Amino acid sequence: MRTKTFAAAALLAAASLTLTACGSGGDSDKPVTVVSEQAGSDKAATVLDQPFEKPDLVLTDTHGKKYDLREETKGKPTLIYFGYTHCPDVCPSTMSNIAVAAKQLPKAEQDKLRVVLVTTDPDRDTPAELGKWLKGIDPRFVGLTGDFATIQAGARTLGIAFDPPRKDKNGKIVSEHGTQVIAFSPKTDGGYVLFDEEAGVDDYTKDLPKILKGEKP
Amino acid sequence: MRRRLGPAALVIAGGLALASCGGSGSGSASSGSGAGSGETELSVSSAYMPQPVSDEMAAGFFTITNKGGAADELTSVTSDIAGQITVHETAGQAMQEVKSLKVPAHGELVLSSGGNHLMFERLKRKPKEGQTVSVELRFAHSGPVKIEMPVKSATYTPKTGH
Repeated sequence: MRTKTFAAAALLAAASLTLTACGSGGDSDKPVTVVSEQAGSDKAATVLDQPFEKPDLVLTDTHGKKYDLREETKGKPTLIYFGYTHCPDVCPSTMSNIAVAAKQLPKAEQDKLRVVLVTTDPDRDTPAELGKWLKGIDPRFVGLTGDFATIQAGARTLGIAFDPPRKDKNGKIVSEHGTQVIAFSPKTDGGYVLFDEEAGVDDYTKDLPKILKGEKP
Repeated sequence: MRRRLGPAALVIAGGLALASCGGSGSGSASSGSGAGSGETELSVSSAYMPQPVSDEMAAGFFTITNKGGAADELTSVTSDIAGQITVHETAGQAMQEVKSLKVPAHGELVLSSGGNHLMFERLKRKPKEGQTVSVELRFAHSGPVKIEMPVKSATYTPKTGH
């Protein structure tokens, strides 16, 4: 068992210089991941020249009731994300970023905002599961589930693609999530702003007040 | 990042001896590096766990820096907080389990949101911001490394870009 201090690491760094001379650096290892630099906060949101029409999705909400997306969110500033609850990374942070930013809006504005999570894993994300998960983030958020093909087709109209959940060789379910949050204007109901995965609390905090007015962030 | 110090100090000396390339044979048994392939030299930094939504699942992130001349692989992870921890990579928009992740020689393995990450399942409790979670990392060659992973807010992003 070997554990090290930073000081040791520094010393050994020097030592490793010697080691490199001993050959066997071996394969041309390159880092497994290339981590992109954090995007500047002005880059997280993209305003679309050609807004998306709101998808015509009629699904089931977390109370098990029919939810007609166009009807329910008409004239309301709306954010839509496609993700799933058995998702350790990205899905929870995306929804949490929006939740934290939304709480900073004046109360009246908060009441107008609609945040909708549409599941990409409807078999596991029953209305109850979705409801439980969203309660841990913001109970006002809307969670929608239903037929996968319907959800996938709706997402495609927004340029968001994901495959159905599949099983890996251990029998574990692998699901996919969307990479973008789309904001719809309360004035036109058009989806006119895209937030990418890099969008953090600060980006949403800065842009939500504009989106609530249907203005360009 | 704070690490538990085991029999560290002694082993460090051993490591330095080994660095002199020649007399490998005697090297510390604990190093675990394959003979003739240099030494691994791992340290872990920037570890954190975003506070999860529920007690069902959580993620963990960190950077493993390898200052040694030999590559290694992160093969398994354990913690008293979770019944199961698996190593995942993100391929496109899908996160899938992998058997191991490579720690390149003179390089780093980065686990960061949107990329590689640990998935904690069957949590014994829901980790809360401000707490720490003890995690032990195991490698193909190096000895295990214990880290204390601080639980950060659900929206935390490290400032370094990792």
